Amino acid sequence: MSNEELESQLSAMFDDELPAPECELLARRLARDEQLRGRWGRYAAIGACIRGEPGIRLETTLAGKVSAAIKQEAAPGEVPATQRRHYGALHPWLTSLGGLASAAAVAAVAILWMRSQGPNVPQIAAVPPAPVRTPPATALPVAAPQLVSGQSPDHLRRAREADSYVIPASAAQGPALVPPTELANYMVAHSAYSGPLLRRNALSALVGEDSAAPAVTAQPIAATVVTQK
Amino acid sequence: MTADASDLSLVQRVQRGDKGAFDVLVLKYQHKVVKLVMRYVRNPAEAEDIAQDAFIKAYRALPQFRGDSAFYTWLYRIAINTAKNAVVARDRNPVDFDLDMTNTEESYEMQGRLKDSETPEALVLTDEIRTTVNAAIANLPDDLRTAIVLRELEGLSYEEIAATMDCPVGTVRSRIFRAREAIDSRLREVFEGGLGRAEEIG
Repeated sequence: MSNEELESQLSAMFDDELPAPECELLARRLARDEQLRGRWGRYAAIGACIRGEPGIRLETTLAGKVSAAIKQEAAPGEVPATQRRHYGALHPWLTSLGGLASAAAVAAVAILWMRSQGPNVPQIAAVPPAPVRTPPATALPVAAPQLVSGQSPDHLRRAREADSYVIPASAAQGPALVPPTELANYMVAHSAYSGPLLRRNALSALVGEDSAAPAVTAQPIAATVVTQK
Repeated sequence: MTADASDLSLVQRVQRGDKGAFDVLVLKYQHKVVKLVMRYVRNPAEAEDIAQDAFIKAYRALPQFRGDSAFYTWLYRIAINTAKNAVVARDRNPVDFDLDMTNTEESYEMQGRLKDSETPEALVLTDEIRTTVNAAIANLPDDLRTAIVLRELEGLSYEEIAATMDCPVGTVRSRIFRAREAIDSRLREVFEGGLGRAEEIG
């Protein structure tokens, strides 16, 4: 290719009128040919003069400065080593989720620990240990007490009153079935920050689990009337 | 657009890690970017600094360039934003000259800022280049002069110039090239051995 042809291509490329394949080849040549770069700069100066622009320069060091600056940069697509372990770049909701997971884990451990301490901790004073009125379906039928010889009528009346009460097996097993004070207080204190539905579910699960499980197999013990022989 | 395809090819090479391909893009667009920035700042040295920042920003953002628009359109937006930010930053921190300044560091800083402005020597050189170019254009044959002026001043494409001058596109390309060569030849005569003067002065 003659110099004139090359320079003609350069002129066309300067005007964005050179076909792409030629343009790419010439661009590569431009990068390594100082004379062509000088000519390119003068073409720019000629255009600036025709348009009456201020501050015309025949040569500029801009390309050299940019080239020197990007030599210090990582190539596009490369992640600099200093940024590879930048956890701050995580999405904010991931950080929040991590915090919630930690809080939930701590709460679960606390609940399990308190439950394991169950029988040994003081019980809620407000909960009476017995008797508990239970639905009739769960009560065993009790035979009506009969007056035995030697007993006074007053004794029979007391026995019939007692007939209307049954003591559930759960209550009969003792105070261990009542939620521990610390656990109940913990649930009440933390439920202040939860929604009403969750609060109700959490508390009912806590109380219900303790009392309901044994109740399935519980055999209510009827008040017995001791008969004197 | 032919330029778009070749630019995209260069961009893809840069994205694959070829920094030399970005040098070509800088060479190709540096004058356009400086000219663009000159709309916001009048000082050519400052415009060049802003253009440099714009190119570096473009290089850093190049992995995100997907070719939805032409490379120059994308670069144009970066350059405009960089220039606007530079103007805002400059207005926030105006140069404050103290006549009673005794601090040596401040004195050097002030000299550095003054060096960026157009010096009388740079103005003389610009004037000299302009006179040479205008004289060369005046001496051009009519067809060459019309072609180069329609291209550089009016910004017409080769096809539009061909329609205007009623000649083939190839002839337009040849006329513009010959006009540039004639002017460039005159410039080299005048500034022979002194083409680096702009750097010395700037």
